[in-house]
Amino acid sequence: MIAAVLAIATAARAADDEDKPEIQRMLFVESGELLTFSTVRGEGGIGSVFDVKRYDALGSGTPSVLVIRIQIVADGTDTPVAEQVLQRTAVYDVWDERYILRLEQPGSKKQVIVKTPAEALTRMTALQDIPVARLDALPYDKVFVMRMVVELNPIPKEVLAELRRYLSQGTGGGIDRGGALFGSFVSIFYNPKMAEAERVLRIQSRPFYRARP
Amino acid sequence: MWGRLTFAPSMPVALVALAAVAAGAHAEPPPGEGDPDSAVPEPAPPPPDATGDDAPVETALHEDNEFGPVVLIEQIDVIGNTATQTEVILRALPIRVGDVLHASDKRLREARFKVLALGFFRDVALAMRRGSQRGQVIVELRVVERGTLVLNRLWFGTTDLSPWWVGADVGDRNLFGLGIAVGGGFIYARQEDVARGRDQYAAELRLADPSVRGTPWGASWAMTLVRGSEPFQVQGSPGDTRPVNLEAFRYRRFGVRAGATYNVSTLTRLSMGVRAEALTASLPIAPTRFLSDTDPAVAVDLHLDPGSSRVITASFGFDRDTRPDPVLPHAGTRVVASVELGSTLLGGSYDFATLFGSYEHYWPLRSEKHAIAVKLAGGVVVGDAPRFDRIHIADVDRMLTPRAVGLVLSTAAPLAILGTRAEKPTYGDLGGTATVEYAVRLFRFSGERRVYGGDLFFGTGLWGLAERRDLRARDTGLYASLPIDLYLDAGVRIDTDIGTFEITVANALGRIR
Repeated sequence: MIAAVLAIATAARAADDEDKPEIQRMLFVESGELLTFSTVRGEGGIGSVFDVKRYDALGSGTPSVLVIRIQIVADGTDTPVAEQVLQRTAVYDVWDERYILRLEQPGSKKQVIVKTPAEALTRMTALQDIPVARLDALPYDKVFVMRMVVELNPIPKEVLAELRRYLSQGTGGGIDRGGALFGSFVSIFYNPKMAEAERVLRIQSRPFYRARP
Repeated sequence: MWGRLTFAPSMPVALVALAAVAAGAHAEPPPGEGDPDSAVPEPAPPPPDATGDDAPVETALHEDNEFGPVVLIEQIDVIGNTATQTEVILRALPIRVGDVLHASDKRLREARFKVLALGFFRDVALAMRRGSQRGQVIVELRVVERGTLVLNRLWFGTTDLSPWWVGADVGDRNLFGLGIAVGGGFIYARQEDVARGRDQYAAELRLADPSVRGTPWGASWAMTLVRGSEPFQVQGSPGDTRPVNLEAFRYRRFGVRAGATYNVSTLTRLSMGVRAEALTASLPIAPTRFLSDTDPAVAVDLHLDPGSSRVITASFGFDRDTRPDPVLPHAGTRVVASVELGSTLLGGSYDFATLFGSYEHYWPLRSEKHAIAVKLAGGVVVGDAPRFDRIHIADVDRMLTPRAVGLVLSTAAPLAILGTRAEKPTYGDLGGTATVEYAVRLFRFSGERRVYGGDLFFGTGLWGLAERRDLRARDTGLYASLPIDLYLDAGVRIDTDIGTFEITVANALGRIR
C-alpha cells in the first residue's frame, strides 16, 4: 500500500511535465490553397527527440524511424479540422559509410543521401514549409492551434498489442479462479512494460488565425 | 555469456544480389546513378520537403516500403547476457543468419522489441557492422539484463473468521536463463473461535513456458497443497455469520495440473489441460443447520464425499484479446471461455462440468482519454461438482474477501444494497456479473519513464449467485427472492516499472470484512 501511494505521488508529479505539450512559436504561411508551417529557429523544433543515445544509433546500421503526427484543432477543442502524418526513416550503409534517408508525407516521398550523422539529424528533424491543411478548412478569424506528436521508433500497434499481452501473462495456471475470469492481476517488483515508442515529444503552436485579406 | 551464430564467410556476394533480385528487392544504386537526389550530399539547411526532386508520388505511407542497402546477415552476436541463454534470445529474433534483407527492413526494427518482450532485459540495442565480404553484415545485439523476480500477490488482512492471514506469491520469469517461468505461493491463515476449526495453510508451485522452443505452443504445470478448515453456518439468522454460528470441517487437497496452450494468432489462444486432485475431508456425519430455536434442523449439503475422494478433469479454453493495452485498457475486446469436465470414467469420484465465460468491451471516448467498458462474466456448474469447483460468492462479488490458494478467509455476508434476497448462498452452481465501468485517463508516459500510466475508474453493476434448485420455488415475492445485488467500486490503477497497482474500495473491503 505504501508503495502504491508512492507510485501515485510519483506519477502525479511526473504528470505535470510530460503530458503537457511544449509551446513553440511557428511560422504559418498561406501557400496557394494550402496552409504550410515551418519551425522557427531558436524555438527548439523537434531535434530534442534524439538524445545522445538515439543520435549515436543513427549510425548503427539499423533503421531509425521518426513519425510526426500533426493536427490542426480549433482553439479550446479536441476536434481536428486537419491532420497530417510525416514519416522519416534513416539507415546507415555500413559498407559505403553514408546515411540514406527517406522522407515521406502524403503526396511526396523522396530519398536523400548524406555523409554525416549531423546532416542526417538535420534532415530528419527539419520542418520547413510543411503543408498541414487546406485553407477552406480554416475559416477566417477563427482561432486554431497546431498540435504535433513526434514519435521516435514507434512500435506498430499490432506488434505492441502482441507484446503487451505476452508480458501480462502470469507464471502459470494455478488453483485460483479469480484472476482468470472475474478479477484483475496485480504484480509488483516486475513490470517489463513496452512503451509505444522509444521517445515521444509533444509540441503545440501558439494560437493563430487567418486574417481577412 | 557471449554467443554468436555465424554464416559461412565464403558466401559469395553475387548470391546476395541474386537473393535480393529473387525477393523482388532493388539494390541501392551507386552515387550518381538512379535517384538524382542521391547524386550529391544535400546542403544544409534543407529545402522545403514538398518541393524539389521528389520520387514518384504515393498516396499513403506504409510499412513495407523498404529501402537502403541489401545485406546478408553473416553472423549474429549477442553480448551482455550473463543469465539468459543465448539460444533463448536468438529464438526471439525475427531475423536469422543467412537472411537477405534491406537495411530498413521492419524485421530489423522489430528485432529489438521482440527481445525486449521476453521481459528479461532492461535495454536492448541492435547494431550492424561490416562482415567478411562486401554486402555481408554482422548483427550485434547488446542486452542489459534486469531482475526477473516477480511478486504476484500479497495476502494479508483480518476478518471475524481469520484474525490474521499472511502470504505471498512470488516467481521468476526466467528460471536458470531458460525463459521458463516459475512461481509459487504460500499462505497461512489463523482460524479461531470456530467449532472444529483449525489454522489453514496452502502452498502452490507453478512452472510455465509460454513458447516452447519458440513455437506457438506453450506448456504449464502446477502443484497445489491445501490444508483447510472450511466453515459453514449451523445456526443463527440468515447472514449472521459470526464464528459462534459456524462450524468447520477439515480437509486436505493435493493436486497436480498440466496444461498446454496454442497461439492460433497473435490475438487468439487455445488451451487445454488435465487435473488430478486427491481430497481428504473430515465431514460431520449429518451436517445440519438450525434456522431458529423452534424450527427443525435442515440438512446442509457440503458437496464433498466424506473421507478420501479424487477429482480428475480435462479442460479446454479459448481466449481472444484485442485490447491494445491489457493493463489500462481503453479500447478493444476480450472474450474468454473455458469448460472443464470431471468424470468417474476418468478415475475421479465426481461427475460434473463447469462452463465459464467472460466478455469485456471497451469503447474509447474523447481520443481514448476516457473509456466506457461493459464486462460480463458468468458460469454454470452442472452435475455433482465438488465444493471447491463450485462458484464462491467472492468470485462474483468483488467487495468480499477473495479465496486465496483455495482457502476461504471470510464468511462475511455481502452488503445488502438492493434489498433483494437476504441470504445469498456461499456457493452456487449459477453465477455471474454484469458491470459497467468508466475509466478516465490520469496520465500516460512513454519512453524511459518508470511510471507508465494511471487511470481513475468507477464501476457498478449487478452480481448474482444461486443454486439452481433454489430458483425453482420461492416463498416470497419475485424481487425479494432474487439472488442478486449491486456491486460498486472505484479507485485508481497505476502502471509502473515495478508493477501494476490497483487501489480500490472493493480491494480494501476485501481485507477487513
